[in-house]
Amino acid sequence: MPANSSAQNYYAQKTRAGMRSNMNINRFLSILTGAIVSVMILFNGTLSNALGNFNSSIIIHFVGLISIIFVLLISKSKFKLHKGIPFYLYSAGAIGVFTVVLTNVSFTTLGVSLTLAIGLLGQSVFSIFIDHFGLMGMKIVKFNKKKYTGLFIIAFGILVMSIY
Amino acid sequence: MLLVYLLISILAGITVVIARIINSNLAEKIGTLQGTLINYIVGLTFSFLFMFISNETFKITYTNMKVIPFWAYFGGLAGVVIIVLSNYITPRISSFYITLLIFIGQLFIGIIIDYFIIHNLSIGKLLGGLLVLIGLTYNLWIDKKAVTEGI
Repeated sequence: MPANSSAQNYYAQKTRAGMRSNMNINRFLSILTGAIVSVMILFNGTLSNALGNFNSSIIIHFVGLISIIFVLLISKSKFKLHKGIPFYLYSAGAIGVFTVVLTNVSFTTLGVSLTLAIGLLGQSVFSIFIDHFGLMGMKIVKFNKKKYTGLFIIAFGILVMSIY
Repeated sequence: MLLVYLLISILAGITVVIARIINSNLAEKIGTLQGTLINYIVGLTFSFLFMFISNETFKITYTNMKVIPFWAYFGGLAGVVIIVLSNYITPRISSFYITLLIFIGQLFIGIIIDYFIIHNLSIGKLLGGLLVLIGLTYNLWIDKKAVTEGI
């Protein structure tokens, strides 16, 4: 085996131990992503309590804009303006504003964990709905009645979270 | 009264799904980071729009802003970090695990935050959170089985 580091890296990655540590890093990063979501709700909610919801949305998006420009510059990505992009594809930004505003309102009364749990319920039900009918270009996945059980457990869990 | 907040959170979850689908369609055409840029530009524009339509007065002044803890301004940055991390992870683990692990991270830190910042800790949050996790796992597992059995 050649004594240069890239070959050693390759073999390190491909051994069982190497792959296990890759898996662990990826799992950790997933959990970290979730943690950052909670922290983000805290930051945004605090800002909105101080400045008002729509004012703070401006600041949040402005900071985000600076950040993504920074990331694009660092990664040396190219940006090409394509013609013929359907207009609705640009709407995600507007919808995102609703997400921020709604979670801010919820955060003030419910706190982070309950907001997340109920949001998850909304996501689950709505995803099931979209998949069942194949809306928005998603492939059709018919609703499996067994999922009522999971949804019920989630709803019950939310009840427990809010009452006790 | 609490019912209103229930509806608000559910609605927030719905917007998350819609935005995620539209964003992935956009990313297919111009790339994820590029799509994110468009996202924030449009979002910033609409934020201004909503603000002027609403009853809120423009409050982004120095006197208002200096009393706010500095960390509260980092929400926008956190959003971009999440997008970058998600981009990195998605091709590397199955979405079953990603969804589950992300939710575990959210819930765990969320409960801690609720304890320290809002001084709210109850066994109910922990047990209820666990139940939500179980429900989520079960439904994701059903999906996973459906995929491997080729339904």
